[in-house]
Amino acid sequence: MPELHSTEDVLRLAALVSALIAIAILIWYLAVRPPLGRSTKIVLLFGLGVMPFAVALAGNISGFEYTLKREFCGSCHVMLPYTEDAADPTSTSLAAIHSRNQTFGHESCYTCHADYQIFGAVTTKMNGMKHLFMYITEYANTGPHGEGGPKIHLYKPFKNAMCTRCHSTEAPHWGKVEDHAGALADIRSGEVKCIDCHGGDSIHPRAFAHGGNGRKPDAAAAPSGEKAPSGEKKE
Amino acid sequence: MFSISKVTIRRLVLVSTFMTLVSLGLMVASILFPGPFLLVVSMSLGQFFGTASLALYLLAIVLDLQGYGEHDELGSEGE
Repeated sequence: MPELHSTEDVLRLAALVSALIAIAILIWYLAVRPPLGRSTKIVLLFGLGVMPFAVALAGNISGFEYTLKREFCGSCHVMLPYTEDAADPTSTSLAAIHSRNQTFGHESCYTCHADYQIFGAVTTKMNGMKHLFMYITEYANTGPHGEGGPKIHLYKPFKNAMCTRCHSTEAPHWGKVEDHAGALADIRSGEVKCIDCHGGDSIHPRAFAHGGNGRKPDAAAAPSGEKAPSGEKKE
Repeated sequence: MFSISKVTIRRLVLVSTFMTLVSLGLMVASILFPGPFLLVVSMSLGQFFGTASLALYLLAIVLDLQGYGEHDELGSEGE
């Protein structure tokens, strides 16, 4: 008996049960071929309409929930240098530190990279479709960790708001950092980016170890082990 | 012009049934083996087939209610 750990699991189970009921009804119809009387029509309405609708609804919600997970992002092999590092309990990269957060760690890719503006979820999903197209057309035949593929880059500059939504610039501990206090106005206006200091190989060392091209999974290849900020640096 | 007979209506239901089975197969596959490609196929093709099959079934019911077929009498030998 599968264990149900989350709403997503319950939805998946509901979708599967609905699908089984629908399939049973349809196979019964195909096997028996009863006359299309009122009762047959009603039973078929469940098999052709109500149950498939339930499958689609529950399947869509659980599917969308699954697309938020780091595991989903890592299902495209070119993302492995990013997700393997994030999942490494010994890594001190920013991505790994954030991924160990119990609140959102299992959705760390989405949490930091989703577009939080109005319709942000929609634009993020549209970009996800673009990712899939790019993956099929340009990265499908690259090496086990994306070696040989075009350089992976963000669609637009990484916004400070992605960081400050959790690491508030109002927090006293954040303001005690000298560089933060000195550049407060510029950080808030976006003139100075968080990733100007906390970027690149301190976030995704294994992916950036080779400049974004010919990426390798070897943590030793990452030059930033000692450069990566420690957990105490989180504000 | 189309000639709508009892057999046509039953075939509509039959096509609808097969399309729904394909649609359910795609959707179940994406639930059991969630991956980018299957999820996209399930949420696009799977749901297109599902919606189209329901539309076909409802069309068959409407035609039936308008008196194009007397299916209760037709029974399973109609195919």
